[in-house]
Amino acid sequence: MQTLEFDFPGDRPAIQRAHVGVVASADLEVLVVPSDGDSASVRIRTSVDGFDDVWRNVLERFFTRYGLTGSIEINDFGATPGVVSIRLLQALDQSTDEPTREVRA
Amino acid sequence: MTTETDVEPLVPESAYVRRDSFIERDARSRAFALVDEGSGRELLDPFDHLESPWLEQQGVVPEADDGVVIVKGTVAGKATVVIGIEQGFQGGGIGEVSGAKIAAALGLAARDSRAGTPTSAVLLLETGGVRLQEANLGLAAVAEACSGVLELRALQPVIAVIAGGLGSFGGMSIVAGLCSTVVMTREARLGLNGPEVIESEGGIAEFDSGDHALVWSIDGGVQRHALGQADVLVKDDTDEIVGAVRGAVSGEAPAAPASRDLARLRAHLTSLDPSSPPTPAELPALFATPVAPGTTEEAPRPAESASTVESTGRGTAWTTALADTAPNAVESTVIEATMAMHGLSAILLTVVPDAASPYRRARNGEVGLLEGLALAERVTAIVTEDADLEPERKRPIIAVVDLPSQAYGRLEEMVGIHLHLAAAADAYATARTQGHPVVALVVGTALSGGFLAHGLQADQILALNDPDVEIHAMHKPAAARITRRTVAELDELATRIPPLSYDVRDWATLGLCNGLLEVADADHPTADDVATVKEQLRAAVSRARAGDSGLSGRWSVETSGDNRAATRRVWAAMTAQWQ
Repeated sequence: MQTLEFDFPGDRPAIQRAHVGVVASADLEVLVVPSDGDSASVRIRTSVDGFDDVWRNVLERFFTRYGLTGSIEINDFGATPGVVSIRLLQALDQSTDEPTREVRA
Repeated sequence: MTTETDVEPLVPESAYVRRDSFIERDARSRAFALVDEGSGRELLDPFDHLESPWLEQQGVVPEADDGVVIVKGTVAGKATVVIGIEQGFQGGGIGEVSGAKIAAALGLAARDSRAGTPTSAVLLLETGGVRLQEANLGLAAVAEACSGVLELRALQPVIAVIAGGLGSFGGMSIVAGLCSTVVMTREARLGLNGPEVIESEGGIAEFDSGDHALVWSIDGGVQRHALGQADVLVKDDTDEIVGAVRGAVSGEAPAAPASRDLARLRAHLTSLDPSSPPTPAELPALFATPVAPGTTEEAPRPAESASTVESTGRGTAWTTALADTAPNAVESTVIEATMAMHGLSAILLTVVPDAASPYRRARNGEVGLLEGLALAERVTAIVTEDADLEPERKRPIIAVVDLPSQAYGRLEEMVGIHLHLAAAADAYATARTQGHPVVALVVGTALSGGFLAHGLQADQILALNDPDVEIHAMHKPAAARITRRTVAELDELATRIPPLSYDVRDWATLGLCNGLLEVADADHPTADDVATVKEQLRAAVSRARAGDSGLSGRWSVETSGDNRAATRRVWAAMTAQWQ
């Protein structure tokens, strides 16, 4: 297991909490919590060691494109970059939409 | 196999394809689907960060909700708490926190039910049982979940839904066996020992886990329903499962839950010959045939010759040494004796080896079909006999524990060993709550499901401080294999993570131990040893009588220190968020 931390500047603040995914094989969970400031603070715990550069690239692309800010926590169980990107997009949708009563479909 | 070919297609293909699959939902989605629309509120959600305190220090990534989702709401207008286990995270394994979430939700539902707000519970069981990375604390948590189901079941329906894909195995299958109603799909499985575990313990001839038709013919929902071990068989369709749960929540609790219907379990055992077992396909008809009265007392039971007990290991040695008279064989593998205490005859019950037992997977002291049932029958008989006595006159029950595990066998799974172990756990817990002091005395090994059935429902647990006393969720080579570690790695982790340790002195720090007893000879107790242990048993019985008959003392600061701090946090948070 390896813990990684990154910060990315942005301008689209999370306005509500979001939780997507499961810490299941080849999947991950993402938690987004709104926070003050103009950056995304990302903490990752991953079951696969040594992929620091891959994580940096995947996250940089996402946060550069969408500008999400807030406190973001990722618990990863060997998800591929594609799955990571999909989960981040789901978390983005949930955390920046108007609040809805139904948390989960 | 027969279960696949004999069953008609459940729905026309087009409807099947269009259905809203329940299996494909994750635990959170399943839980919210069951409660009335808009009524659900998640308790201890991921943002509360009540995650396992044990996984990260072993290099395992935790989940923010520890793999259990609690949703409180209404079902058909009635207050209900849904407890969903996420099968994707650690195979649905139960750790300290996830187990405490289950036990606390059940406990608070019981509290509300007593206070005038009837609250039922629905358990979504997809689990391999105890999470081996938390070993002894997972085992403790499952015992507390068993106790919680029994407490609530006496007041309100507790419904198990096993939808699949994983199924319900290990200690959580005992939990399923205790529920008022079990709902399964044909895709779901229910069994005590998973096929892979039996294959690794007993060889491929015992159980070929790769033979899916065989696996489903034994553990599958269609078969469990045919045997009367699942009450409702449903399609993998959300609407249908919601309907089944609504019916079960609104209905009356059955008069005799499966784990209390000992006559039925006895009739099932009597109906088959363990040395020439039926096929799974033959079993439903065999179970459906009423057994003639009178034969139930004899068939698989040993004859009178078994009443002389041979010396077979520590269980026998300690039972004989502590008893006032020679032990009596209830079965060839279960002995009973009495010991004078506080002016009463305390009952000693012990599972012992018998190399000639017709149940060949239960010859080494394992708790199998016969042992689970015999313990349940004896404890239930004692509770019934003493029912009208004043609390202080109810006889103490002492479970002497030296067992290698539960029985790992194909016959056992076919018959439904989870129910037989549930019956024993039910009987011990009932004795405890009815005011009998129940004490477990661990003199040798106490592993896994065997200990859940015979020992872990006690008020008080004592253990000998001896290197060969071993209390754990699974024996070391298997635990190493399943967690993908070497035995050396496991040993290293156990030096800093108490619930993983095989050393009884570490186990004693987990809150489960009410006395670690020093003896000179654990194999052949000396007169001094016997005097010491008798004294400690008397003290334990007095403490049990003074206590509240619940299990909450196991996670108090006094008994467990920091080792169960997470359990206390879960109970405090659940209580705070409950209303």
